[in-house]
Amino acid sequence: MPEVMTRTLWEGRRALAGFAAGTALVGALYAGFYPQVADGAMGQAVQGFSPAMREALRMEDLTSAAGYLGSSVFGIIVPLVAVIWGVATGARAIAGEEEAGHLDLLLAHPVSRTRVVLDRFAALTAGAALIAAAVWVAMLAVRPGADLGDVGVVEFAAQCLALALLVVVFGTLTLAIGAATGSRGAALGGGAAAVALTYVIQALAGQLGAGALRHLSPFHHYIGGEPLRHGFQWDGLATLAGTALVLLAVAVLSFDRRDLAT
Amino acid sequence: MSEVIRLEKLTKTYGRRRGLAGLDLTVGEGEVFGYLGPNGAGKSTTIRLLLDLIRPTDGRALLFGTDCRRAVAHLRRRIGYLPGDFTVAPRQRVEQCLDHLAALRGGVPRARIDALAGRLDLDLGARIGALSKGNRQKVGLVQAFMHRPDLLILDEPTSGLDPLVQQTFLDLVREAKLAGQTVFMSSHVLTEVEAVADRVGMIREGRLVALDTVAQLRDRAAHDVEITFVGPADQAGLAALPEVSDLVVDGQTARLRLSGSPDALIRLLAGHRLARLRVTEPDLEHLFLAHYRTDDTVEASRA
Ligand SMILES: Nc1ncnc2c1ncn2[C@@H]1O[C@H](COP(=O)(O)OP(=O)(O)OP(=O)(O)O)[C@@H](O)[C@H]1O
Ligand SMILES: [Mg+2]
Repeated sequence: MPEVMTRTLWEGRRALAGFAAGTALVGALYAGFYPQVADGAMGQAVQGFSPAMREALRMEDLTSAAGYLGSSVFGIIVPLVAVIWGVATGARAIAGEEEAGHLDLLLAHPVSRTRVVLDRFAALTAGAALIAAAVWVAMLAVRPGADLGDVGVVEFAAQCLALALLVVVFGTLTLAIGAATGSRGAALGGGAAAVALTYVIQALAGQLGAGALRHLSPFHHYIGGEPLRHGFQWDGLATLAGTALVLLAVAVLSFDRRDLAT
Repeated sequence: MSEVIRLEKLTKTYGRRRGLAGLDLTVGEGEVFGYLGPNGAGKSTTIRLLLDLIRPTDGRALLFGTDCRRAVAHLRRRIGYLPGDFTVAPRQRVEQCLDHLAALRGGVPRARIDALAGRLDLDLGARIGALSKGNRQKVGLVQAFMHRPDLLILDEPTSGLDPLVQQTFLDLVREAKLAGQTVFMSSHVLTEVEAVADRVGMIREGRLVALDTVAQLRDRAAHDVEITFVGPADQAGLAALPEVSDLVVDGQTARLRLSGSPDALIRLLAGHRLARLRVTEPDLEHLFLAHYRTDDTVEASRA
């Protein structure tokens, strides 16, 4: 039994439940605005924006259900809220626990450091999956009432799976920084900076004439292929998963090398 | 007797600061070892090296004959560890905390946890965060002892415990010894460990400055004796005894230091009428340090 994993989930259960419910709720609320937007009110408001701005905010097409959801709900709000959970969880996973002085005791038990990192990663992944599943359920719940029938159940699932992997990527990055440095502050700061930077890259790379740059952004692999229109985008999902695994390997190796702080 | 702990030139430096400087030490199976030293001497550093929580700059540490950097999970199965600063998540209950730690070891009989908690007067239903420092320390003791490990590594186990609980703790150590378990425990003072320790070692600034059996310390220990005679003190008789030193006579009262057997003194006194006799327990701590002061300076000048 992966005792460390179940224990990690148990200790973080309140935050996880809160974030899953919160992300789903805020997503459902915004998705529920779609009928008004489709009426053209939002479309008119956005008319004044420059084309570049509209592209950056993924607002070229606000009248289709997939276009609206891809720009507002899955473009900003839901991934950002979910990623905040991922970064916070990644920071607590190793560095936070270490600073709290809990790791000395844990690692004096028959549990290797690698095992601890892997279990904490597994808990992160399970939590991300739960948040994404909650969002998926919420979308299916509002779908009939909010005229979102154009987006299929599978397309929602594709986008939510990408959401889970996005959270795992940033969570693992934060975990890895914490595992390498032992500093919760460095992990939180690094994780948050990476989120902001890669979000901007994804949004602006096109206008800066550096479209290729956006491949560096997990956000691009998360939504660039428009899963809400085209379903599962396997190369994007594979890139996200691969990135998470590389970061996990970095976390395991660097954590195994260093001294634990008291 | 096989070696449970073996330190070979164990060295740890933190940046330019010295934690441990080439420590050599062995602790045998079934032994209770008291590891003494002032603040910052390197006690916790040694212990955390043994548990592979930190890595040596040089030298190595072996547990049960295996380098403690290897087969880590396997070695830790045989160890019970009480950290110098026992901290666990404050929101859980004592019972949850112990169950989790037991699960990491593949389970511990419930009765064992209940028995330990009962003896230490620890409330299993209390929240960790609501416990006093001493009561939190008891949680640490229970988790270290509960799985009856072959080796107990205890970093300042008595810190925060009231005298009564300290006695219970010493009983637990005695029982562990009877069961063949090995105990390595650190402390600031000899008095806390002398009752149970077979051997004591003292480190200062990362070096071992003293190492001895408690039995030998006791043998060397001098008692301070104060005798009040009815009538004049028998100064000549006392001074003639080889075991007596530092004799001071003040009218009817004689003060002296007695080393070795009290037999000759008692025989001499039997021929006199006494008003009062007081023998003071030897201060092992004092003796321990005094005995090694010379070695200490040798070490220091060599450094
Ligand atoms: N992480 C660290 N970084 C830098 N120096 C350290 C670190 N840990 C310990 N030291 C230094 O190593 C020396 C030994 O410390 P250690 O904690 O082993 O002492 P100790 O004997 O356990 O003391 P105490 O009785 O206060 O617990 C001290 O000088 C301490 O400042
Ligand atoms: Mg210490």
